[in-house]
Amino acid sequence: MRRLDLAVLRRRPGASRDPLMVAAGIVLGLLCLLALVAALVPFAGSPTEISGPRLSPPSWEYPLGTDSLGRSLLPRLLEGIGVTLVVSATAVLITAVLSTAIGIVAGYAGGWLRETVMRVVDVLYAFPAIILAILVAAVLGAGRVATVSAIVLVTVPLMVRMIAAQAATVAHRDFVTSARISGVRLPVILYRHILSGVGGTLAVQGTYALSVGILVEGGLSFLGQGVQLPQSSLGLLVQEGAVYMVAAPWLLFAPAAVLVASILSITVIGDTLRDRLEPREVRSLA
Amino acid sequence: MRAVLRWTLTRLLIMAVTLLGTSVVIFFAVRQMPGGYESVVLGPLASEEQRQAAAERYGLDQPVLVQYWHWVTGAVQGDFGISLVSQVPVIQELALRLPVTVTLALMALSAAVLIGVPLGVLTGLRSTSRSGGALGRTVAGLGISVPEFVLGSVALFVVSSVASCFSVGNLASLSGEPATLVRALVLPAAVLGLYCLAATARTTRDAVMNVLVEPHVTAAVARGETPGHIVRHHVLRNASVPVLTLLGTITAYLLGGAVIVETVFNIPGVGSYMVTGLGRHDYAVVQATVLLAAVAFIVINTVLDIAASLVDPRVAAAGGRR
Repeated sequence: MRRLDLAVLRRRPGASRDPLMVAAGIVLGLLCLLALVAALVPFAGSPTEISGPRLSPPSWEYPLGTDSLGRSLLPRLLEGIGVTLVVSATAVLITAVLSTAIGIVAGYAGGWLRETVMRVVDVLYAFPAIILAILVAAVLGAGRVATVSAIVLVTVPLMVRMIAAQAATVAHRDFVTSARISGVRLPVILYRHILSGVGGTLAVQGTYALSVGILVEGGLSFLGQGVQLPQSSLGLLVQEGAVYMVAAPWLLFAPAAVLVASILSITVIGDTLRDRLEPREVRSLA
Repeated sequence: MRAVLRWTLTRLLIMAVTLLGTSVVIFFAVRQMPGGYESVVLGPLASEEQRQAAAERYGLDQPVLVQYWHWVTGAVQGDFGISLVSQVPVIQELALRLPVTVTLALMALSAAVLIGVPLGVLTGLRSTSRSGGALGRTVAGLGISVPEFVLGSVALFVVSSVASCFSVGNLASLSGEPATLVRALVLPAAVLGLYCLAATARTTRDAVMNVLVEPHVTAAVARGETPGHIVRHHVLRNASVPVLTLLGTITAYLLGGAVIVETVFNIPGVGSYMVTGLGRHDYAVVQATVLLAAVAFIVINTVLDIAASLVDPRVAAAGGRR
């Protein structure tokens, strides 16, 4: 006879005791710190200086080896982390502001306004992420501006949808109705009541959008349509590494590992945030 | 049943609106691309008369709306115009490349359905146990955190350094035998499949976990039904709607051309056609391939929305609210 686990458990919100979450936080924090310090004090050397033999394997002098032009990989990687994080974070910030404004108004107003917004969002949503990104890069010309705009356009549809749905739910709560009856002006209702109601959704979706942003930046740069040389980014470094992977595998594996580590830690943080901010019951049936 | 009918009609109407909007966006976005039709066809040294002749030939002297109308009516009939670079009808090239992309898509999709769904159900059912919870989180997290271009490059590295039994990057003949095609696609399909599998497992796990806490499952447990019976009769069908939606998104994505994987592995599919078209400013190709990807997404999603209402009538009863 197999055991039936009848008890319904509420997932405990003790995220700080979750080792996976702690590890993810440390990894992400460390990456940000390293990139920041390297940008202020070039402790690992210059990312553009051609200083050593070409394609030399990792050594004491070049901790991660050198690339095809003889540049040390470590400072390039540090610069790449910074560029990738800044580009994605900027884009997600823009997405968050835009989607919150649109989502709150559309969700609160409902009716034809929300329908119209949703149809526009549907159109954007119909393009696969990387194709939309390539199209944006083709129109604006490859570079950082195009990358940021591409990430915004890719992440906006889902976030508007989620925030509008959440705002619509909050808009029907009693405290909103009572605020309206007592004559609170519309901007105040939106700001004080609806905005705080969508905060959790915003945090969770924002985190996921950040990992999508890093993915899009990586893919776009990998195709040569994103961040342009001589600047480096994680996607660009992976692409370079893929070219020389037989002769110099460290060029591929170092940036690839960093890229995966950052996306993975952001995803873990997003999952934990979601479990914490939108708690739900869990149960096993085995 | 009336609710389902109304739902279907609403979905179809929304599909039409979205298709219209998408085609407009594609058409005008492509016209914003730097360069111009004439420069692409004639090169920078062409004379003014040559440019005018080319503009006339491609209908560029007509008002934009007329151009749009010609493009859309042509596309509906399968006429995507002529490639500016190769001067071959786009549809001919697509007909050669589509089978490659479809084969790749089917291979990756089967991984998602055959492995991802069962894995998601299993880890979802055991989400509170230590091992089940960790396994589910790790598989789902890792799979969606390793970008395709990283996984693809690493896979190429592994295969090229170890003696290989798969042929890689060797799809010179588009119209090769099916067996050759499949063998050449094993590695890229595995890379794509892993990504699809992880996303499917993640969604399935979430959906199962959401159903498990519903009162009707509690009632079934109280009635003394066996776990297997509960899973088959109460959990799977209720959990299937989000999974169906995700599988639709994945299928559309794969059919639109897995741009990055096709580039990494040098596969002559629809996705790489789009990338080369962009590189050469071949507007006709870009328009056609992007439209194809978007139409695939919209149509598949509409079909699945309607299918969802048949599987779970509550979807339709909830009305147009999503």
